[in-house]
Amino acid sequence: MKKYQTILILTLWGALALWAWFIPSKQISEAERRPLAQKPVFSEKFQTEFESYSLDQFPLRDGLRTLKSLFHTFVLGQEDNNGIYLTNGIAVKQEYPLNTDSVHHAIARFQTIYDKYLAESRCFYAIVPDKGYYLAEESGHLAMDYGDLYAQVSAGMPWAQEIDLRSTLVGQDYYRTDTHWRQEALIPAAVALCEGLGVTPPKAEDFTIAPVERPFYGVYYGQAALPMEPDTLYLMENDLLSQCSVYDYETGKTGSVYDLTKLDSRDLYDMYLSGAKALLTIENPNAKTDRELVIFRDSFGSSMAPLLLADYAKVTLADIRYVQPDMLGQFLDFHGQDVLFLYSTLVLNNSAALK
Amino acid sequence: MIFSSIPFLYYFLPAVLVVYFLTPRRGKNAVLLLASLFFYGWGEPKLLWLMVFTIAVFYLCGLAIGRSQRYKKTWLALSACVGVGLLGLFKYADFFITSLNAATGLSLPLLKLALPVGISFYTFQCLSYTVDVYRGAVPPQKNPISFGAYVALFPQLIAGPIVRYADVARELAERTHSWENVGLGLRRFVIGLSKKVILADNLAMLAKLCRESAEPSVALTWVYAIAFTLNIYFDFSGYSDMAIGLGQIFGFHFPENFNYPYLSKSVTEFWRRWHISLGSWFRDYVYIPLGGNRVSKGKWVRNILTVWMLTGLWHGAAWNFVLWGLLFAVLLLAEKALPGLQRLPGILRHGYVLLAVILSFVLFNADTLTQAGRDFAALFGFAGLPLFTKETGYYLRSYAPLLVIACVGTTPLVKLTAQKMGENRAVQMLEPVLWLGLLLICTAYLVDGSFSPFLYFRF
Repeated sequence: MKKYQTILILTLWGALALWAWFIPSKQISEAERRPLAQKPVFSEKFQTEFESYSLDQFPLRDGLRTLKSLFHTFVLGQEDNNGIYLTNGIAVKQEYPLNTDSVHHAIARFQTIYDKYLAESRCFYAIVPDKGYYLAEESGHLAMDYGDLYAQVSAGMPWAQEIDLRSTLVGQDYYRTDTHWRQEALIPAAVALCEGLGVTPPKAEDFTIAPVERPFYGVYYGQAALPMEPDTLYLMENDLLSQCSVYDYETGKTGSVYDLTKLDSRDLYDMYLSGAKALLTIENPNAKTDRELVIFRDSFGSSMAPLLLADYAKVTLADIRYVQPDMLGQFLDFHGQDVLFLYSTLVLNNSAALK
Repeated sequence: MIFSSIPFLYYFLPAVLVVYFLTPRRGKNAVLLLASLFFYGWGEPKLLWLMVFTIAVFYLCGLAIGRSQRYKKTWLALSACVGVGLLGLFKYADFFITSLNAATGLSLPLLKLALPVGISFYTFQCLSYTVDVYRGAVPPQKNPISFGAYVALFPQLIAGPIVRYADVARELAERTHSWENVGLGLRRFVIGLSKKVILADNLAMLAKLCRESAEPSVALTWVYAIAFTLNIYFDFSGYSDMAIGLGQIFGFHFPENFNYPYLSKSVTEFWRRWHISLGSWFRDYVYIPLGGNRVSKGKWVRNILTVWMLTGLWHGAAWNFVLWGLLFAVLLLAEKALPGLQRLPGILRHGYVLLAVILSFVLFNADTLTQAGRDFAALFGFAGLPLFTKETGYYLRSYAPLLVIACVGTTPLVKLTAQKMGENRAVQMLEPVLWLGLLLICTAYLVDGSFSPFLYFRF
């Protein structure tokens, strides 16, 4: 190498090093949706914390992650990057293999709830397939043994009636950049749920579909770090929904089904029932009956619940990732309401967070 | 601290380079010593004393051996006892206690001492120093800073190559710094970094995925064995490249440690090409002093078995490492006993070496002998596994390009092609783009990935 070439390499290397030394710290990573490690103070863990800090705060971090993803995918030919793969422009998490222990843990948590509160209730469950159910096989990727998962849940919850959603969805019914299903594509699934529950199913013509102006970059967008077009998030609106009120037990505040304050949040999906919430109750003053529904759910329930409201005067949503089931009795009166367990395969296969 | 980390690449190394090259010639060894102690203390602050103690003992013993004709054997023995004793205490004590407990039914408590990083490397370097001073091959180093810089020199401190004092004695006193050396060193460093980050770490991921498979198969176990064989080569040779490159930047010329070992056509040749500095260390400091091959056949077999058992033990304090070493001893003896093997077609001899090496690394990487037994059963279809599964197909498809690149990378093809292309003036102009591009890609992997220690870190 010529002298000037060596100097060029050293200069650019040094410039990047100086940038790393003096770059102001960022608090969060928008793409990865997580807080970033900050400059550590001297302690016994200093070295480890400095490693994390130097990685998290490195200049051009997002660009470098994209460079790695592109190299990994297109030069090394890897089928997935950080466990995410792209098929026809849709980012899918490779959820593999089936974690039997996790499924049993989830079933045990549901059983606890049933034993404590649900003796008088009609109980139902529906499993929300993740995108991989529809897209893994045709794209040649690995996926968990869904048949085994459904069989295990069925055997473990004999006290609940299954509502099968598998035939009501297709791979395109999910956001391309996110884990969740698209609300505007959920009418067939909502119909299946309502028919299973024995209430009036929704009709597409009962709603107007309004796009949210801001582009929606879902959770897989950041994880895959590959160039992808953003999604558009739509809200299904009608008079019935606009007159419903939502009570949040954590904050003690009442809001609406679609939380417009979340327009500025990192995750636009949080517009549906304000995102991750331990306990909510939707009051429907225009319900056709005085029936009530309790949904034990994960985040997939946030966009589905508004479509199930027509007959129910009151719908309560409990997320036992954020509230101990033992404490539910302090807030809720279980008196024979309809009960639906609505959980995605993703949560069932990674259920450690279920309390 | 490891080379393939952001703190090393963008904090430690640039700072050391600036201070080193701004320091007058007289102070450069002191800069290297202080930087090396910081480098070592970063990961092992509690065991820094051990490094300083080892330097002090071998420095004083070296001086004493050089000055005293009468007691020089005693000083040599003292240095050997301290070096081997510390190595034995920190690395092998629990292995021997466990083995003794298992053999006798005793339940002696384990010491559970933390293994000091790089202890096997720097102990061997120190031993070679006092032995060479004793033999009169080199004069003792009178300057404690220069001696400390030799033992602790961060480029080769953690995972070699094992640099003998004689190799760098002259350069410790007087070495040339030039843009050419810096340029060549940078190039070698980036090549090593790329081998480690782009190839070895991804191959390690493949081996891990195969290990944790939900649908294991015979084919997947072979993929695991091949992936680990490639992983350990790129991991270790990548580290050696980085060490040699860094040494060159600072004006040192370390010995080569690898020479395309997977091209070998005999196990004897393999060990002339794999971890060359360790093989030559055992040859010069154990095998030849034992009599080498100029003894009776029985003693020669004993010498071979001793050297290879020690080679195995050097790699780790566990029976699978001992067996791994002895396996090579048996193969080497067989090759000597069956000279007809040399007349077989080259492709068959090459295939035999590759098979032996792959199987040996399965033994090497097993957590226990039971695990090794299960792995061998799986490889040869005795574990009741299917021949092939969907998961096997997926990993093969996903990692096929990497495996092909890695296989090509074990041959001189890339080097020869690069040399041929390097004759083109336009390519010469673009050379910095290649090295900066590779550096950026490695940085991107590090920023996106997690901590990835070297396999040879534990030795």
